[in-house]
Amino acid sequence: MIFPAEDMIVDSPRATPLYAAAASASEANIWTSVNGWSLARVFTSVEKEYHAAKNSAAIADLGALSRWAVRGHEAAQFLSRITTAPAPRLGIGESARGLILDGDGGVLDLAEVSRLSDGLFLLTTPTAHARRLQLGARGVDALGEDICEAVAAIGVFGPRASDVLSAAGMKMPGEDVAASAVVRGVETAARPIQFGALAGVELIFPAADALTIWERLVRRGKAGPIGLDAMEILRIESGAPRPGVDFVAADHPGTATRRTPAEIGLPHLAPLDRGWYNGRRGLRYVATQPERRLVTLSIDDERSMPGAAVFAGGKPVGRITSCAWSPAIKRVVAFADVARPVGAKEYEIAVPAPGEGRVAAKLYETPESALAKAFRQAQDAAAKS
Amino acid sequence: MSDAQHKPGAGRIEGGIDAIVIGADAEGLTAAAYLGRAGYNTILLEAGVDIGGPVCARELCPGQNYIDGEHLISILDPAVIADLDLYRHGVSYAARCLDTAYFFEDGETLQLGGDLQMAAAAFDDEEAGPAFQKFITDVFEAAAFCRPGFEAGPASDIEKAMRAAPRALAARLNFFSLAPAQEVLDAYLPDGPLKAALLCEAGFRSAAAPHEPFSFMTLVRRWAGEIAGLQGACAYPQGGAIAVVTALRRAAQAAKVDIRAATGVASILIEQDHAAGVELEGGGQIRAPIIVAAGAARRVFMEMIGAAVIDIEFQRAITAARPKLASGHMHLALKGVARDEKTRAHMNRRLVYAPPREALRRAFADARAGRVPSDLMIEAVFPDALDEETGGEKMQLLSAIAHPLPFDEAPDAARRGEVEKAILANIEKFAPDIEDRIKARALRLASDIATSTGAPAQDYAAPPSIIEQVALARVASSAGYVGGLYFCGREARIGAGLSCAAGRVAAKAALFEAKRGGRAA
Repeated sequence: MIFPAEDMIVDSPRATPLYAAAASASEANIWTSVNGWSLARVFTSVEKEYHAAKNSAAIADLGALSRWAVRGHEAAQFLSRITTAPAPRLGIGESARGLILDGDGGVLDLAEVSRLSDGLFLLTTPTAHARRLQLGARGVDALGEDICEAVAAIGVFGPRASDVLSAAGMKMPGEDVAASAVVRGVETAARPIQFGALAGVELIFPAADALTIWERLVRRGKAGPIGLDAMEILRIESGAPRPGVDFVAADHPGTATRRTPAEIGLPHLAPLDRGWYNGRRGLRYVATQPERRLVTLSIDDERSMPGAAVFAGGKPVGRITSCAWSPAIKRVVAFADVARPVGAKEYEIAVPAPGEGRVAAKLYETPESALAKAFRQAQDAAAKS
Repeated sequence: MSDAQHKPGAGRIEGGIDAIVIGADAEGLTAAAYLGRAGYNTILLEAGVDIGGPVCARELCPGQNYIDGEHLISILDPAVIADLDLYRHGVSYAARCLDTAYFFEDGETLQLGGDLQMAAAAFDDEEAGPAFQKFITDVFEAAAFCRPGFEAGPASDIEKAMRAAPRALAARLNFFSLAPAQEVLDAYLPDGPLKAALLCEAGFRSAAAPHEPFSFMTLVRRWAGEIAGLQGACAYPQGGAIAVVTALRRAAQAAKVDIRAATGVASILIEQDHAAGVELEGGGQIRAPIIVAAGAARRVFMEMIGAAVIDIEFQRAITAARPKLASGHMHLALKGVARDEKTRAHMNRRLVYAPPREALRRAFADARAGRVPSDLMIEAVFPDALDEETGGEKMQLLSAIAHPLPFDEAPDAARRGEVEKAILANIEKFAPDIEDRIKARALRLASDIATSTGAPAQDYAAPPSIIEQVALARVASSAGYVGGLYFCGREARIGAGLSCAAGRVAAKAALFEAKRGGRAA
């Protein structure tokens, strides 16, 4: 699950249930706010946190994401109306990613749906969509409950995530499938999640128990906290676009940049042959070849920054939407919003200093773009046959 | 055994049909006639026993009928008349170009000819004459320019049309579309009865009061209409508005449309995002690749298709709260002939009572607050005087529409009495002592018309401003992007009155899509 863009202006961000623990652990003391909640950007150092998540385990406060518990006879139908995730086809314990689309097929947000029991689902989205959920529930037998204020959520990422949970006594069947259980007196739900390509487990529990669980994971599990800046590198490396940064929600006031799933590089999350979802019929009217596409690039220069112009064949074709230095590939990895022709593999990026000219950039295949590519190939093959 | 198996038609599937039209009001009949004329095997299904929707003949008292729904024609689509050859099917005008007599609170009257351009040219007032002429020229030009934008359909886009307009016209269109009617009239005309009359026209049968933004477009929409080639005119068809519906029915029958009354549709079958047919209330299915729905959007999309497979934005648009205002129809059977000279002189005209500006403002505020206003705009005609065929010797009929009234889902007897009293008091202002001559009366409120058509009362509330109607019509006529489904119900119509444009646009869109994608039947 991906965090949305940081808030532009927030007078007094609210404290997540884990704020006290995070504040205590934060040596750098660099903070930001997301959806009006305070979150640490850096705890110790970005590089240290990044390597810990890649090679060991890291824990993150996921309390800024929007969470809804959805119950009822038609909960699955309701969720498949709201999101493109195939909720009716999920077995108990299964999760699926999807998108939230408007009626014309424009992307509003990312979404993740988990089925905890027959009639109980968990919906997680980067930004809140309370009004939309209210409207979507009209005429459908489903009850949605906003649980953001009532629960805390910790993500445990990295190859040692399982060991951390075991050592902390939080080992649950939720490592492979979503499940809920009472662990050491605390009612906890666990489900497998991915932060981009980084697999992990998300623990959700009552807000009152937040500090106890965090302490247990840190002291017993020996897991270090990871801040937003390190997570941003992991996100771009994995090819997961960030709402509000790499694309603007179709219902954002004043936006003229409505993006379809194909245009943000996630066509595989909204296939037209999936069961009905909001916006599917609108997508059928959208041109099959997107006008623009969000691509991931590797750039041979560390001065590139968001907003820099992207050139193909000597002509400007787009701009960088987000970028970060990747310790893994020793280059800058970036998302760029480029116009057609999207077949180009070689790009140039304008560097910010005057007279500095342009630097070379190449398409960079991420786990997400590989999924999109495989999806498009399957679609083409099906169309031909 | 399940309930479905008890139904007489259960298990029966009817195929070989090209198109199904749901709802036999004027728009549904129009759509069916277009499809039938194109050679499509078309079935028209009507849940009620009457064909024609709200426009129908009812008995007021023995020997005296009245036409419910509409009494005049002003925005009937000329293309429908020509394409469906409605003159050959019986449409003719008893009064082709009705003059209007305006009555005011102070007892003044003003007469305007039915041909407004000529009326403006001949307007006998040194100051107001040239101003009126300029006003009519400007508004008629804007109305003619906007006419395609008033046709419901996804392509209808007034803003786009405005951008393509010459600069001076675009500026004027911008002013007309945004400004309150009061402001536009103040900019063009000096104070006086003419301005008061036009202010009343701008607020008539609309939920947008003349002092509120976007209200001037109500008048622009009316004047975009054309009767027998005369822009902005009003006509009384021979036999009343029902004659138009009868002609549409004949046109549909001539096009071999299979009209089935008392055949309700329970649900619309959607397969792979495409309409595939309908399931009937009596059981059984009719399969067809084209469905045109002329019913209320809530009924068609929320009940016949279901909320769970309708886009949230679309659902939100079609279920949004409507203005709490309505018009009321009053039909009076009058004993003998008119006695006073004032009334007799005007009986072959359209009669309008125009309250003063402040009273109009109060009336809209009262109606919105659920109170019956003391001052009402009244549009009245004496059908017998206009139409010799129906004229009686011993009785006279007066049909009036009063606006604005509070919208009531289910008005009780006390409220009905209050409304009736207010309407009669306002009619008395131009037809004194009329109450003494009333032999029978029929008050038809929005809820009454809705009950007779089986639609929700809200469907017969006053329409919002034209700009809002255009926006809603664009969304509604997309039919939620369901392939093969076309919508020409109330939400796809722009302006108050019998138009048939939505039915024509829906049928044309269906024919266009069918030709483009190959006829699926």
